[in-house]
Amino acid sequence: MLAPISWLKDYVDINVSPETLAKKLVAIGFEVEDIIYQNRRAEKVVTGKIINVEKHPNADRLRVTKIDVGDRVINVVTNVPVVGGENIAVALDGATLADGSKITRGELRGVLSEGMLCGLEELGITTDDVDGQTAGDIVRFEDGVQLGVNALDALGVNDVILDVAVTANRPDCNSIYKLAKEVAVALGTSCREPHINYKVASRDVKNLYDFAGSKTSELLKSVQVKNSELCPRYMAAGVKNIRIEPSSRLIKSRLRAVGIRPINNIVDITNYVLMEIGQPMHAFDRRDLEGQAIVVRNAEEGETIVSLDGKLNKLSGDMLVICDAVKPVAVAGIMGGLNSGIKSDTQAIVFEAAKFARDNVRRTSRALGLRSDSSARFEKGIDFASQRLGMERALTMVYESGAGDILEGMYDVKVDYRPQREIRFTTSKIRDILGCAVPKARLIDILSKLGIAVSEEGGTLVAHVGEDREDIAGVNDLAEEFIRVYGYRHIKPTLFKYATLTEGGVPDNIKAVDKIKDTLAACGLREAVTYSFTSPAFASKLRLAEDDVRRISVKLVNPIGEALSVMRTNLTHSMLETLAYNVTHFVGAASLFEVARVYLPKALPLEELPVEREKLAIGMYGDGADYFRIKGALESVLAALNVRGERYVRSSEPFLHPGRSADVIIDGKKAGYIGEVHPDVAKDYGVDNFRLYVAEVYVDMIAGENALKYRTYSPFTRFPIVERDLAVVVNEEVFAADMLDAVRSAKAANLVDFRVFDTYRSEQIGEGKKSVALRFYFANLDRTLLDSEVNAAMDKLLSALKRKVGAKIR
Amino acid sequence: MTEKLDNIKNAALASVAEASTTAQLAAIRVKYLGKSGEISLIMRDMANVPKEERPALGKLVNEAKGEVETALESKFAALEEEEKSARLKAEAIDITLPVTPANGGLHPLTLVRRQLIDIFAGMGFSVAEGPEIESDLYNFQLLNIPKDHPSRDMQDTFYVNDNFVLRTQTSAMQARIMTKTQPPIRVVIPGKVYRSDDDASHSPIFNQFEGLAVDEHITMGDLQGCLTTFAKKIFSEDTKIRLRPSYFPFTEPSVEVDVTCSMCHGKGCRVCKGTGWVEILGAGIVNPAVLEMCGIDSKKYSGFAFGFGIDRIAMIKYGIPNIKLLYENDMRFLAQFN
Repeated sequence: MLAPISWLKDYVDINVSPETLAKKLVAIGFEVEDIIYQNRRAEKVVTGKIINVEKHPNADRLRVTKIDVGDRVINVVTNVPVVGGENIAVALDGATLADGSKITRGELRGVLSEGMLCGLEELGITTDDVDGQTAGDIVRFEDGVQLGVNALDALGVNDVILDVAVTANRPDCNSIYKLAKEVAVALGTSCREPHINYKVASRDVKNLYDFAGSKTSELLKSVQVKNSELCPRYMAAGVKNIRIEPSSRLIKSRLRAVGIRPINNIVDITNYVLMEIGQPMHAFDRRDLEGQAIVVRNAEEGETIVSLDGKLNKLSGDMLVICDAVKPVAVAGIMGGLNSGIKSDTQAIVFEAAKFARDNVRRTSRALGLRSDSSARFEKGIDFASQRLGMERALTMVYESGAGDILEGMYDVKVDYRPQREIRFTTSKIRDILGCAVPKARLIDILSKLGIAVSEEGGTLVAHVGEDREDIAGVNDLAEEFIRVYGYRHIKPTLFKYATLTEGGVPDNIKAVDKIKDTLAACGLREAVTYSFTSPAFASKLRLAEDDVRRISVKLVNPIGEALSVMRTNLTHSMLETLAYNVTHFVGAASLFEVARVYLPKALPLEELPVEREKLAIGMYGDGADYFRIKGALESVLAALNVRGERYVRSSEPFLHPGRSADVIIDGKKAGYIGEVHPDVAKDYGVDNFRLYVAEVYVDMIAGENALKYRTYSPFTRFPIVERDLAVVVNEEVFAADMLDAVRSAKAANLVDFRVFDTYRSEQIGEGKKSVALRFYFANLDRTLLDSEVNAAMDKLLSALKRKVGAKIR
Repeated sequence: MTEKLDNIKNAALASVAEASTTAQLAAIRVKYLGKSGEISLIMRDMANVPKEERPALGKLVNEAKGEVETALESKFAALEEEEKSARLKAEAIDITLPVTPANGGLHPLTLVRRQLIDIFAGMGFSVAEGPEIESDLYNFQLLNIPKDHPSRDMQDTFYVNDNFVLRTQTSAMQARIMTKTQPPIRVVIPGKVYRSDDDASHSPIFNQFEGLAVDEHITMGDLQGCLTTFAKKIFSEDTKIRLRPSYFPFTEPSVEVDVTCSMCHGKGCRVCKGTGWVEILGAGIVNPAVLEMCGIDSKKYSGFAFGFGIDRIAMIKYGIPNIKLLYENDMRFLAQFN
């Protein structure tokens, strides 16, 4: 909300600087986002007097002028036909004009020019802001103007405007009048009431036009509200003998200061009242109201109206319209119809001041894509008090400007409402909310200054809250009204002074995720965080089959763009994008992980909340990255979470390298996958100079019930460990895991550890075969092992390998 | 014979003296002292020496043997020491040669989130998370934000359909907790939230940290105490907070909370735009209407709630100038935090 301080001063005396005022407003809950100085629209543009004009030696159309700018005389080359003695506005060397352009001294056709003559446009103003100037010409001042002063100051364009962020609970303060009341509270002073002064025209007024009465009821025969829920109040007043003309300079400049374009005196009055009182007004041309009637009703399905902005609106049955006896003439609270607007020859008008239901205005405005200052105001909420105030203020402006003759009487169709309600409370209740002492006298004083009268009944206080303070529903609201003026500094910090001691702490699932992250960080990986929504193109980029469930994703109705329009069903896509980002940004290697949710709808369209499951994704490329490094990272996590017996089987994920990828099986179920990214897919992500590696698993499948279990001590031998190697030849397709399973199945005595330590292929071994070297460690807790014992165990192992995987001794 | 022995001995001692490697010494030992070494052979010649001379000669041979042996040993020790020093010298490396550390690390958002959880767990708060795709009921209605209410304009909401949204605030979880649990409640809720705002200073996704305490006799003073503790622990011991009146539909009274700028400690700098204060969170006393809607007796219980952006805290704490950096995942960014 833009509030010119000069306008606020109509209501409250302000004797502090704008900066101080802003601070005081912030302290009582009105954030001032900006302080706008009108006279800083252009800088270093000053008044000057032309003392000499000569022809430019090298250019026919240019003149060389000498200008007195107060402390000195400067040389300015111009094409404006000025004469000596004129007072003008001149931009000095280093000036900034309203459009942001800078003026610097320089030579024009060989003659030094130290400035530029300015018109209204260069100063960022129009003829609406000032009198006595001409659009398109330079600014001229009367004789006697002080030289060398800010030209905007000299023109009287020097208001200071506060840009105030009004919170949603105080819609009433989107008006100069109500904001002025808060200013008064902030400054500890009082606020004046709106100026009301008008007389209705007498019966003998001459120059009657299309009707012969002097009462509103003769101009407008009836006002009928058919839906009082959506229109709890409708006031109408007539004015005749209208003279359409431009508004006064004051009205025009104030409207412009708050961002409204002046149109004509009548339209300007409606806008002025909207800004000053907060009541949206509308003016109908009486000629266009067929049947001399106003009917407020729901639109008929498919009914149309062309609004003032020229837009054809197709209405639906839940929208409210203002009609005459025949047709809609306005979309209620949003915009008038082109068919009934104020024209240059309008002779009689009907002012409307109504209260429309805010949610209906909001919905209709959204549905039609039609917005106005009026609808913006209605959407925030209008109280019952402001219709009459707004109407009378409008009539005052008509009367005092002589814009027309005000007719006797006005329509006021309204529902019953409670103008005031009572809240019973005690100072101790307020103390209990705030946790600070509440002096009763100060409390009553503050509330009454805010317009809330307080009476006492026995030991109880009663607050009488006006209808305009819809936001005050109970004692908590009164506590806030008190403390925002009294000051939060009066509250001293306590730490659960009277409350119960609670246990607190982190649940196991979060601890498990912490463990995953710590493990991967210890493995040298960095944590990434990517967006939860992505492009629907992820499915085709990953080459997902048509019936792949990962294609079923939650879509946003109003995404920022197509690229961020669906909730992800996997993390691999984001991880590949992240790897590709780093590749294209010249990062030579990256090892990353992310723990985040995927969103899996049970059915579409969404009727219940989707399943949100946490997943772990790992990705890497560059120096040192290969299938085994990423598998090592995953296995470190599995080990940290006490996962046992995980298996890796060839994966058929379409985006992975078929020979270098695996599904990760835990407890017989697929927990995820791991592998090198298929070169075609990598290329689709823009990477063809690196091999990419990715893994993705469900957190709840790797972080089972043992995830946080701690292991107990197991003893280890103090006697010598016997190490034996064995190289066997097996078929190429035999996996290391199969061989290790065979070893396990042998149940060899005293075997404490074993591993595959080498794989070797050669012509000698033969095609389709490989030699695999295993190393076994034998030990006994209680004694040194005998050679014969170890030999027997080795025999057992060899025969198991022969039997289970067809191993042969080389 | 004696003369021969002397010659051999002298030759042996000379070659020991000349030897420059332990390998040469070994060869010398074999040549003179080995089984068929020259000195050993003299012993074999003993048969040809008259019986009476044998003891004296034997003694001489043994002395010669001993002398050579001693020379060999001392030379061997000297040479071995020399060779070891040579090897150690040869093995010297450039101890300044840089290596790439294999450190991994956590995202700054995780680092801050963990610190926050630690701080609040210490004050008796437990931790909960909630759904990110949320129903209109929990995200808005139970928080005193009815449909078509202007306060919805405070947040630009991503809609899935009329009933489901991407949660705009972790406060949604407040309502879920309060409808399920009776006081005392003391919980913090970290998590992702979504607003359709995408410019230099806004990310459409960011992380919030919500706090809720409901019990008998909870006051604005407790809120202030709790937030003061938080601000001191997350920034520094000299941090102060300031409450300004504000409005949120689900708290009453509502406040915005500023903390003294952690860069300049309140003196005024570029980060705080010279004010010495940085706005970091919204808070207030839980609106009794919200308690009632969630099935908690507002006559008996009161509560406070607060919420702030983890991203914002991370940006302030780590001096990150642009929120977008947090989600770009450039390795050169991620590798900066430990």
